[in-house]
Amino acid sequence: MELRGLPAAPGIAVGPVWRYRRGEARGIPLPDVRAAADRASNDLLALAARVRGLGRTDEAAIFDAQALMATDPTLLEEAERLARAIGVPDPDALAAAVETAARGIAETLAALPDETLAARAADVRDVGARIARILAGREIALPEQPSIAIADDLPPSITAELPPGSLLGIALESGSPVSHAAILSRGLGIPSVVAVRGLLTAVDVAEAPREAAGETGDGETLIVTLDGEAGTLVLGPSAAQLTEIEARRERRRRQGEAARALRGRPGRTADGVAIPLLANIGRPEDAARALDAGAEGVGLFRTEFLFIGRSDAPSEDEQVRAYAAVLNAFGPDRPVVVRLADIGGDKAIPYLHLAAEDNPFLGVRGLRLGYDDRALIRTQVRAIARAGAAAGATPRLMAPMVSTFEDVTMLREIVAGALASLDAEGTARAARLVVGIMVEVPSAALSAPELALEVDFFSIGSNDLTQYVLAMDRTNARLAAAADALHPAVLRAIRATVDGAGTNGIPVAVCGELAGDPLGAAVLVGLGVDELSMDAGALDAVRLMLSRVTSADLRELAGVALQARTATEVRAAASAVVGTGA
Amino acid sequence: MSAAIEIDVHNPSGLHARPAAVFVKAAAAIPGDVRVANVTTGSSEVSAKSILAVLALGVSSGHRIRLRLEGDGAPDALRSLAELVASGLGEPPAGAGA
Repeated sequence: MELRGLPAAPGIAVGPVWRYRRGEARGIPLPDVRAAADRASNDLLALAARVRGLGRTDEAAIFDAQALMATDPTLLEEAERLARAIGVPDPDALAAAVETAARGIAETLAALPDETLAARAADVRDVGARIARILAGREIALPEQPSIAIADDLPPSITAELPPGSLLGIALESGSPVSHAAILSRGLGIPSVVAVRGLLTAVDVAEAPREAAGETGDGETLIVTLDGEAGTLVLGPSAAQLTEIEARRERRRRQGEAARALRGRPGRTADGVAIPLLANIGRPEDAARALDAGAEGVGLFRTEFLFIGRSDAPSEDEQVRAYAAVLNAFGPDRPVVVRLADIGGDKAIPYLHLAAEDNPFLGVRGLRLGYDDRALIRTQVRAIARAGAAAGATPRLMAPMVSTFEDVTMLREIVAGALASLDAEGTARAARLVVGIMVEVPSAALSAPELALEVDFFSIGSNDLTQYVLAMDRTNARLAAAADALHPAVLRAIRATVDGAGTNGIPVAVCGELAGDPLGAAVLVGLGVDELSMDAGALDAVRLMLSRVTSADLRELAGVALQARTATEVRAAASAVVGTGA
Repeated sequence: MSAAIEIDVHNPSGLHARPAAVFVKAAAAIPGDVRVANVTTGSSEVSAKSILAVLALGVSSGHRIRLRLEGDGAPDALRSLAELVASGLGEPPAGAGA
């Protein structure tokens, strides 16, 4: 039986199932909150030392902080207050008191207007659970042999606690690719798949016939194969499936070698058509990694990092420094596209006084903020123009959430006003700004011929375009699989954008996740997209794919894809041409 | 009598994660009750020796905090804690290497 989730850590694993359940075995309870907290703190310090020894300093810092949390007076005083209210110092009641106290603190942290603190909230809950286990004498049954962990969720401290080599892979029913658990499994090189709907039930069902036949214990345990890149797993694979996964492992290894050999060369099809491959970055510090991976520029520099998690707006000078850092890193000959902040009612940004909205993804966000207050966008445009002067480069500026002709008119007014104000002050600025728009809303795709006359380039945000064309929230785990950017309707919107751009001869880039998926990249180039921008980690695979196909092959593929009925049909057609077989 | 010092937090991640841990460990080494408040958000005072309480202050880069020593502790200790905050709590300052 094959199950699909979200890829969380790359690699292929084959092995027996190990079911992790929160503390089931009984050991000796330690019914003293302070003593249990001390032991938890010491265990966490030991974990930090071990993970640091593996060279994972970032993950080690998480455990160091957790060790401090375990003996935190705020947590322990609250736990003891709750325990006193219960009266009898029963180990299970003490454990519940600690967990309740930790949950309360976690909720306070999660409610703060700062995204990094949400991750801390999970750490506090994990610490509470650890102390509770010690108090109640609950122990974790360790896997008896190297196994693939199957769980609803797996706290990072459990992953790190298991002896190295005992976890071959991890499959979780919940979780997300950006959780600490996923980050840690990538750090430790453990292939992982998360958000696998129906995983626990499917494993129960697959194990049931073995139990009925009395095969548990020394009988065969259920074998699982897991592909952390495709985000798939197979329960009880057939001999043919096992052979296939070994072949896939070997194919990946050879492709990795071939891709590394192409590093530093520009993106190009087998028949020599240049397709610049750019990187998406979220902070100036990401520039170095993008350059190492052979990025030919930056197709999407997200600037939200400047605006989130602070109590006042970033100054123009602070913005100039951030943009100039990236422009300098890439030099005058490699393009850098700076995207105006894509902010809306889903983010708590106190100094913007954004109204709470019932539906922030259809609300006042991105460029639309300019209708209420132009100053925020104007300052950002001024900073981009000044950064261009500082770096001696021509910056590219891109507006998010453009849906109407009026939006583009406003953008042009703001840009013209910002440049005029710099000139009036005599402030140095780039002689020219290249101004483009994101095409991520269906109305923009359908208005492409008119919008193309007003701007210098289009960049398709395939993630949002998919979400808006299909009316599927891509963060909804139950819709994640169906919200496939290779759906023929999304591809038709992309084709309409390319055709519209052609009326004024402006280039079209794609900067969503689709561009970094070799199958997606193949279809996009076939549809006439000129440039692809992706996470730096995806550049190798896309560069290799392009080097092995001709532009005629890809055009033919795009023709088939536009006629398809489902995303599955498009993927099958693309796999046949590209030959990677995900 | 109690000594108090106000200081701006300038390290990029504020009093989150690692810098918070560095801060709390230094505060814990000071005898007496060390209190801290987020002046920018107008928070109430909490114990500077509790990482969870310090995290919950939500101190971001650019915020101003107030340190106070309860009772008649040594003001020198409070000053060195303030200097540690000023030095970036072990984090490189924002914009370094840019």
